[in-house]
Amino acid sequence: MSAFIDARTIPSGTVLQPDLAIIGGGPAGITLALALAHTPLKVMLFESGGMDFDAKTQALYAGKVSGVSYLPLDASRMRYLGGGSNHWGGWCRPLDPIDFEQRAWVPYSGWPFGIDELEPYFKRAQDLVEAGPWSYDKSNTPMSEVAPLLALGDGGVYTSWFQFSKTRNSVLPTHFGDRYADDLRRIANLKLFLHANATNLRLSHDAASLDSFDIATLNGRKFSVKPKTTVLALGAIENARLMLASRDVAATGVGNANDLVGRFFADHPIPRDTATLVSFAGDIAGYYFSAYNLNGAILRPAFAPRDDFKRSSHVLGSLTTVENPVELDDLGKAAIVSTALALGVDATNAKAFSIGCGLELQPDPERRLTLTGEHDSLGMPRLKLSNHVSDDDFARYRLTMKELGRQLLAARTGMIRLNYKTRAEWVSALDWGDHHLGTTRMHRDPKQGVVDANTRVHGISNLYVAGSGVFPTYSASNPTMNLVAMTLRLADHLKRVMR
Amino acid sequence: MNESRISRRTVVAGGGVAATLFAVALGLTLPKLFGHRYAPTPYDDLLAQLVDREEAARVGAAVRIAEPGFNAKAVARELRQRFEQRNLAEVSDADIREGRLAEVNGWVLPESLAQLCTLAAL
Repeated sequence: MSAFIDARTIPSGTVLQPDLAIIGGGPAGITLALALAHTPLKVMLFESGGMDFDAKTQALYAGKVSGVSYLPLDASRMRYLGGGSNHWGGWCRPLDPIDFEQRAWVPYSGWPFGIDELEPYFKRAQDLVEAGPWSYDKSNTPMSEVAPLLALGDGGVYTSWFQFSKTRNSVLPTHFGDRYADDLRRIANLKLFLHANATNLRLSHDAASLDSFDIATLNGRKFSVKPKTTVLALGAIENARLMLASRDVAATGVGNANDLVGRFFADHPIPRDTATLVSFAGDIAGYYFSAYNLNGAILRPAFAPRDDFKRSSHVLGSLTTVENPVELDDLGKAAIVSTALALGVDATNAKAFSIGCGLELQPDPERRLTLTGEHDSLGMPRLKLSNHVSDDDFARYRLTMKELGRQLLAARTGMIRLNYKTRAEWVSALDWGDHHLGTTRMHRDPKQGVVDANTRVHGISNLYVAGSGVFPTYSASNPTMNLVAMTLRLADHLKRVMR
Repeated sequence: MNESRISRRTVVAGGGVAATLFAVALGLTLPKLFGHRYAPTPYDDLLAQLVDREEAARVGAAVRIAEPGFNAKAVARELRQRFEQRNLAEVSDADIREGRLAEVNGWVLPESLAQLCTLAAL
């Protein structure tokens, strides 16, 4: 077992020459390193942080935010081995087939391949995120034997299922850094450098390939890496930053000939208490509130729009969970009594619950990252995020919630209150999933995407991007398991082309 | 000659029956005597569908605030067509099936129910 290398001990001026360089040690970078273990490739992984949180390293992430409120850029990410997995909640769900389609009502939609391209990788991705046996939407029957599901009438919304990354010591899901450190140390063809910050991508003179990149450390060391092939796995925000900031040859940055790098940024808005769900019968199964372990699959239901409802009503993805019991005012009580009496249902024990959700946003080129005139302690330009959410995004989710309400009434199970109507109400309740997506979007056409279907940067023969930054549309599913699957697919591609 | 006699048991049983009948009669009559009596409205034929008119009126009051231009006559005309030979449960089912829903301060209700509630609040 080899130790990780502290880049702060590498003499300045050193030139490293791996076959493959992976920049970034989050879920994507670690997955790629694991997947390329025991191949003939000489692999090096460069992680900015160490094994634990360090405030000075984390501060390299700081930037500005304008527009709709968002977490500070140094608060929504984690800059040490394991990256974003160091603060994730462990929520997993595969993308839906429709997520890959070009949809007339979703501008800029359409992946360059269908879900069939990712399906062979889901099982291994599921294993890596330690989410147990693949159950997801096959869970209705076994879970209804644990306790009854909240019945829904026929319609556009169905009960879908999250699975959760395995909890450790009853608290945390899989943190890729901790969990896979020993596995990484055991890989003979891998050298992993900690405290190594990539600060510049140097293109060849014709800008057709990546010649080398610079590494700097917080103690002042500077060296370079001259790989045959490089994969950026810094996360959607930092990948864009490094590409935009690298202007030695291409004046607009690496891979940015068509002004796409940093555009189409997305995350999942998680507005609080968007609706109130009433169960006429009162209590509902405990697994609606907290995940239930069914033979190793840790499950929690969510209400999701069906693909045909998305098509007919032009809505986007959303995943709605039942959260906490809430008290009702007199109007709420009157609405329940009146509705239950009209339907001939006994609602004397009715209970109300708040609802949580994660929403898919429509792609928006103006929701973007740009460089500012400020620099971090390594001389890297800092970023500004211009954040937008369109009224359509809220209106579409409202349609889905209304359909859920209709189906609860149809089943005589309960009813819904939609708590927000105005943009101001929505925005005031907005949290975010810290699921950074879309800044290096994938498209076959270089004019519409930064990377191609193999996630290779258009026009640059040996530079790839891993992670959810390549997602052209975002689904409502949490990205980690899906980006791990995408990275496994990239690993297979690299094995083929780097023979 | 046999003297006709009423046994004590018969008296007790008869009294019990009488008391029961009296209680039932009282139960049926008292609400009519002392329960909430509503002034006649042009919509009583429709409002008869409501089991709890007070709670319905509370819902309807919220509609009236949100829709000051609520046209009671037109709505009643429409409701009468919907209720022809159907009860509230059946009309509500049809509303739900056909996606005719109203939002009352965010609460999603069958449209006809919300309209009835509004008539109850006039």
